[in-house]
Amino acid sequence: MTNVEQTRMTLIDVILKGEREQANTLLDNYAASCSYRVAMNDILEPVLEQIGNMWAEESISLAQGYVAGKVSEDMLLKIFNEGINTAGIQPEKGPVVVGNIEDDYHSLGRKLVSVFLQSAGWKVFDLGNDVTAGEFVDKAVETGARIIGVSAMMYTTAQNIGKVRDELVRRKLSGRIQLAVGGAVFKIRPELAREVGGDGTASSCFKAPGLFEELWEKSLKEVPL
Amino acid sequence: MTSMERVVAALQGTKTDRRAFTMTLSLYGAKLTGCPLTEYYTVPEKYLEGQIAVAEKCRPDIIFTPFALALEAQAFGSEIVFIPHDAPNVRKPFLRNLNDIDKIKLPDIEHDKSFLYIRTTSQLLADHFKGKVPICGVLTSPMDLPAIIMGVDGWLELLLFDRKKTATIISLMSEYFISMANSLFHSGINFLAMPMMFTNPHLVFEKTITDTVVPALADMFRQLKGPIVFHHGGNPLAEYLQHYQSLPNVGGFVLDPHDSFTEARKNVGENRLLLGNLDGPSLGKISPSRSIEKARKILDNRRGDKHFIFATSAADVAWDTPMETITGIYELMQQYGES
Repeated sequence: MTNVEQTRMTLIDVILKGEREQANTLLDNYAASCSYRVAMNDILEPVLEQIGNMWAEESISLAQGYVAGKVSEDMLLKIFNEGINTAGIQPEKGPVVVGNIEDDYHSLGRKLVSVFLQSAGWKVFDLGNDVTAGEFVDKAVETGARIIGVSAMMYTTAQNIGKVRDELVRRKLSGRIQLAVGGAVFKIRPELAREVGGDGTASSCFKAPGLFEELWEKSLKEVPL
Repeated sequence: MTSMERVVAALQGTKTDRRAFTMTLSLYGAKLTGCPLTEYYTVPEKYLEGQIAVAEKCRPDIIFTPFALALEAQAFGSEIVFIPHDAPNVRKPFLRNLNDIDKIKLPDIEHDKSFLYIRTTSQLLADHFKGKVPICGVLTSPMDLPAIIMGVDGWLELLLFDRKKTATIISLMSEYFISMANSLFHSGINFLAMPMMFTNPHLVFEKTITDTVVPALADMFRQLKGPIVFHHGGNPLAEYLQHYQSLPNVGGFVLDPHDSFTEARKNVGENRLLLGNLDGPSLGKISPSRSIEKARKILDNRRGDKHFIFATSAADVAWDTPMETITGIYELMQQYGES
């Protein structure tokens, strides 16, 4: 087993035990010989993918997934600081816009999606909770985002996502700007993603980077650069 | 036998005329009486009317106080939303910044409108059914209530990474929970059911459960003036029952629809009360005959188990559940005579 593989295995182990500090130390040690961006690519990203698979198999707990998110968040801060010190390693993908839909304040899933997207190299504009359709589309237009990711926990708030679709249609931006939808209610009612006008959904925050890759490709096919 | 006698017999493991059963028909009472949900969950007399209709038409052996956990969050300052054909839910948790946990104050348990509604409803139900049908109170677990006051992410953050603030919150929840639960027992409920989420390894680390959650619950439960029914809270429970075995005042466990009773029995022994495990919220999506078939399988599986009450698991029975499903399950119980 290579050093990289051993480090990944150890990292999975400490994350699943909830040992955030140990996980950070492990990544610090690896990054010492290269950089945090490289440590992210070599170690943390593959680990997140494996933890995502475990999540899909329902073999890990919410807390274990949350700790994975916190370790990613810690890494992003280090990469950001490293970028300042080394005059800038920029995210490679995006930009994209995410937020909880109008009237929705259940932020756990959206926060984790935001962290995992950034960990996978996406530039993310996270608009927070209770974001109106107009605010989502304005931000996407302003930043040149090709994906808007909208989260909702309840059926009642998920229906507000339809307003984002309406706004995209009204401004003739459907196709160019893809609409990703997610949240607890979509797991219970998968058909809802289509009903509210979503272009795609992911079963968990870990799967969000994969979904965004697909939607980005779709956008480029429909409206090339 | 009365329903009360049947349920007590299941607790004691003595013979009954038929299998005791219940379905979580808190919400369904509003459907039966045609009561708008904004009234049903705010006017105790309207809730009572709904449950009288449940008792007459569905004849369960246990009646529930409002299964509307968001009302407690509302008392702590969270905003709630009334949803068509469902119990109210939390729209906006009270606390958004964990540095502000000092802003969480214990509401006035005697006068707050949500608490008054829950307590008055419990009193009305207890008075009406006068010991013939047991009344099961429903409260949020004190270890879950913080999640609907500060959001799931906020509570996880504290539980995992901030012992001091966690202790502060648990102390506050403990003070609230013991007062509220005992006031419900004083109002006449016979036992208290609580969906338990942040007690389950599907949500939190086992070390959090053993080091923080269970000791806090043990301390609270031993101060209660009546028994608790430990509800699976939407996650499998059977394989983890050993964690909760020694909690004081726990009279029984409601299992998840995916749980195995055999595994549960292995973990808690033959003499603890087990309840469940027909999935209540899914009953609106499947035909009466299929629901009844599922119920029959559970009953066959539990044949000879004297400490078992057939019940629905998970959340409330769905609004769009056909009446034929409910009456069919009642009739099925008659076929499962003496237990």
